[in-house]
Amino acid sequence: MIDALFNQPNYLAAKKMLDVTVLRHEAIASNLANVEVPNYKRLDVSPSFESQLAQAVASRDPAQIAAIQPSLSIDTSASSGRNDGNTVQLETEMLKLNQNMVEDTLETQLVSRSLLKLRSAITGKS
Amino acid sequence: MINILSGIDSTAAALNAERVRMDIVSENIANINTTRGIDGKPYQRQQVVFESVLAEQQSSDVSGFSPQTVKVARIEKDPRPPIMVYNPSHPDANAQGMVAMPDINIHEEMVDMIAGSRAFEANLAVIKNARAMAMQALSIGKP
Repeated sequence: MIDALFNQPNYLAAKKMLDVTVLRHEAIASNLANVEVPNYKRLDVSPSFESQLAQAVASRDPAQIAAIQPSLSIDTSASSGRNDGNTVQLETEMLKLNQNMVEDTLETQLVSRSLLKLRSAITGKS
Repeated sequence: MINILSGIDSTAAALNAERVRMDIVSENIANINTTRGIDGKPYQRQQVVFESVLAEQQSSDVSGFSPQTVKVARIEKDPRPPIMVYNPSHPDANAQGMVAMPDINIHEEMVDMIAGSRAFEANLAVIKNARAMAMQALSIGKP
């Protein structure tokens, strides 16, 4: 019954997005670690995740949102531009790193504020 | 096991690998004039070979690719032959007065060094961001 408190679709979606920023950070860490390895292909969060999440949020079904499993895949859209077959580009990767950081800040704020809102509703104090 | 700092395995491995690469560069530069190494021959330029390694296998229910770490697979000797320099007064000169000097190009080494330190910096930035993300996660629910 208490579960209902934490089952708002927006809260669940923010939580999922937070998981994804951590996953993407791991992918970027892996990409930057392997920036000098020939034939390494850059990893990123599977592009199917966004559409799945959009669909689940549109259905407003908490179970569906919670069931999404983000995973990493090889980024096929990344072009090499290098002779060694490696598809990581340092500058792009650094930009993605920072973008991901900002996203992470946004998601933590969303999750945190949702919880604070609940707390304020329960205690009557802000 | 859950890492508080996400991606730390990859980053730590990369920092180590880049450090080894810098060590090798400094060894090459230091020995640019070494005509007699431990084996009695002129110093041979060395280079590192990087290799991706799958990070610890994730639980099997997670599909997709897992992040990769990096390691120095081996340190290879550069096969290029020594340059022969005419210097008859050198103790290691041969009968014709030629000395075998290591074929090390200082510019090449400097470029390698800069590339290495850029990669090192990039990985440090990853750690920094991972730390900031962890601090933010820890502050969830705090007013």
